[in-house]
Amino acid sequence: MDNGFSGNSPPARSRWRKVAYGGMQPGFDDNHTDESFLEEMVMNANVVKRNMLKVMLDTVSISQYLCTVALVVLIWTYTLKSAISEISLLLLDASLLVLGFLVLILTADMLSLNLLFHYFLNISFFTTGLYILSPIYHTLTRSISSDSIWALTVSLLILHLFLHDYSGSTVKPPGALKNPNLTSNISLNASIVASVLIASRLPSRLHVFAIILFSLQIFLFAPLVTYCIKKFSFGLHLCFSFGLIAVTLGFVYHLHRLLFVLLLGLLVSINLVCPYWLIRLQKYKFEINGPWDEAKLCFDITE
Amino acid sequence: MSDSRKHRILMVSDFFYPNFGGVENHIYYLSQCLLKLGHKVVVMTHAYGKRSGVRYMTGGLKVYYVPLRPFFMQNIFPTFYGTLPIVRTILIRENISLVHGHQAFSTLCHEALMHARTMGYKVVFTDHSLYGFADVGSIHMNKVLQFTLADVTQAICVSHTSKENTVLRAGLPPEKVYVIPNAVDTAMFKPAPERLSREEIIIVVISRLVYRKGADLLVEVIPEVCQMHSNVRFIIGGDGPKRVRLEEMREKHSLQDRVEMLGAVPHAHVRSVLISGHIFLNSSLTEAFCIAILEAASCGLLTVSTRVGGVPEVLPDDMIVLAEPDPGDMVRAIGTAISILPRIDPQTMHLRMKKLYSWHDVAKRTEIVYDHALSCCNQSLTDRLSRYLSCGAWAGKLFCLVMIIDFLLWHLLQMWQPAEEIEEVPELVFHNREESWNVNEDHGLI
Repeated sequence: MDNGFSGNSPPARSRWRKVAYGGMQPGFDDNHTDESFLEEMVMNANVVKRNMLKVMLDTVSISQYLCTVALVVLIWTYTLKSAISEISLLLLDASLLVLGFLVLILTADMLSLNLLFHYFLNISFFTTGLYILSPIYHTLTRSISSDSIWALTVSLLILHLFLHDYSGSTVKPPGALKNPNLTSNISLNASIVASVLIASRLPSRLHVFAIILFSLQIFLFAPLVTYCIKKFSFGLHLCFSFGLIAVTLGFVYHLHRLLFVLLLGLLVSINLVCPYWLIRLQKYKFEINGPWDEAKLCFDITE
Repeated sequence: MSDSRKHRILMVSDFFYPNFGGVENHIYYLSQCLLKLGHKVVVMTHAYGKRSGVRYMTGGLKVYYVPLRPFFMQNIFPTFYGTLPIVRTILIRENISLVHGHQAFSTLCHEALMHARTMGYKVVFTDHSLYGFADVGSIHMNKVLQFTLADVTQAICVSHTSKENTVLRAGLPPEKVYVIPNAVDTAMFKPAPERLSREEIIIVVISRLVYRKGADLLVEVIPEVCQMHSNVRFIIGGDGPKRVRLEEMREKHSLQDRVEMLGAVPHAHVRSVLISGHIFLNSSLTEAFCIAILEAASCGLLTVSTRVGGVPEVLPDDMIVLAEPDPGDMVRAIGTAISILPRIDPQTMHLRMKKLYSWHDVAKRTEIVYDHALSCCNQSLTDRLSRYLSCGAWAGKLFCLVMIIDFLLWHLLQMWQPAEEIEEVPELVFHNREESWNVNEDHGLI
């Protein structure tokens, strides 16, 4: 029986069926709510149980990156104070580059000579371009006051930290499948603009070149390097992070006591308070799935 | 029918002819049938291109094309109060007793329902779509829907799945939500007079070629089906961003002679495409009801569809083959459909559809909802405000504020342009020249 309204229905109330055809079902109004109503609703199907320790260990990458940025800012401040000469800056650049490559080579599963050469070529082009452009950066913001530049830099860095992709790296290792998303691109660009702004306050062209090169190395490649370390060994990642955090705290303590307290507070809240908070909030999680959800395709669409 | 049961209904939606789709169709056919039942129906929508002002359609259906420009996806720009004067004027001029809004993402519908409630009218709302709960867009839409539905007198959904969805989204008591499905104009979708030969089996797909309609599934399914069944051909009607992918698939597997791409098919030609096939394939990833399946079944085609949303409720099990939305299962379902095809007689199928779905039945059931709505007691502003307040800690207060301002603006309008100054339209009685109201597809205007 599929046309329930065609009459001659037995006097006993026929069962209500979840169908839309055949007109109004005999004995039931259109607003009838059956016991089977919302039967297929699934609650909190995809919720992951989180473990406090795991969350805390995961947040270490955030504090690590925060400290990296703090170190960059420290270098900027010292350079602006003329405490670091351009030669030592260039040496720092070179040693960072070598160190970064060492880490990449040591942690990579496969890194061909060809790829290394490709990297080398790119970097030399990039450095030459930067060197040629540094006179322009040097005079770029001459008509703007230093206060505005600092204010802008700080806001850009905050934007950078907010939108940064902490789970991976915006600059992908070769062969990565996923493209970086919009927010991590915005974040990267904010950091680059911030470094150009700071560099334009410096006394000489060589300074400008050295500091921009340094900032770009950190902002572009530090996430990639730390990502590689983390993939290689989580223990090493933890050691590296704690070392970095300790060094940063030491330097900041040296520079300014209030900033030190601020940074320490921030690190504690990121590593202890926020994980605890997240775990506490889990019980309010309420996720609903049901037949009305859009079906997910079980294969990848290759455009 | 006594005169007291004659309603004067205003249908409001951003979606109406000349635009085409499920909602447009629903409003048009429902209005026509309600007119037949002796009610007065007026439609309000926004201007489409040069079509602005008042128009009359078949059967004396009066349509107000309000001079507001569409801003995004055929919706007007949301201004909250910008539409209040014109809604009020239309309600008074046409001596309306009940306002019926359609579609959850129609801005005009939400605004008109809000104003109508402020002015004390009874309102009914029909939801034609499904929404998830996870992404930001859905969360926003659900809040807007909650606002409108917090004070709606009765709500209608097009399928039971849609009812569950709406109840969850808007937090309505389920008794207030009616399920009245769409229907199909079976007179327009008749099967081919002669039965097609089954030497070659033709599978028809008519849909917009977009992600939500499962165009990517088609790309996976078609080559496999063509490989397994050497006598199958595909006819694909529709256009969209995924058309390129389908054409690529056709090139890659050299299926040019077995997959025909028609491009966009105007609704008037849908039947002629449908009757050239044996099987109708629907690959939607989400669907509240799916009128296309009804049209295909009415033309006598066996349907193969993904089991999503309200689709399983639409047809009896022996008229449809359902599959999970993954390519392997869909290929299996198409195989099943081909094997049971000899048992399907298009004419019998058509006659069954005639019994299962009719717009007159839809109109009669909607009439009951209207009667229920009108018998609800009137509520004062304070009662209604308390209902809004319970919508959420912040949203509730915001909703209240919006409603209070609307109330004040309405009173301001009352002083500025008293209701007595607005002229009521005289009753016009249209005599139908023909008894059957088979509506021609150009939605011809008189």
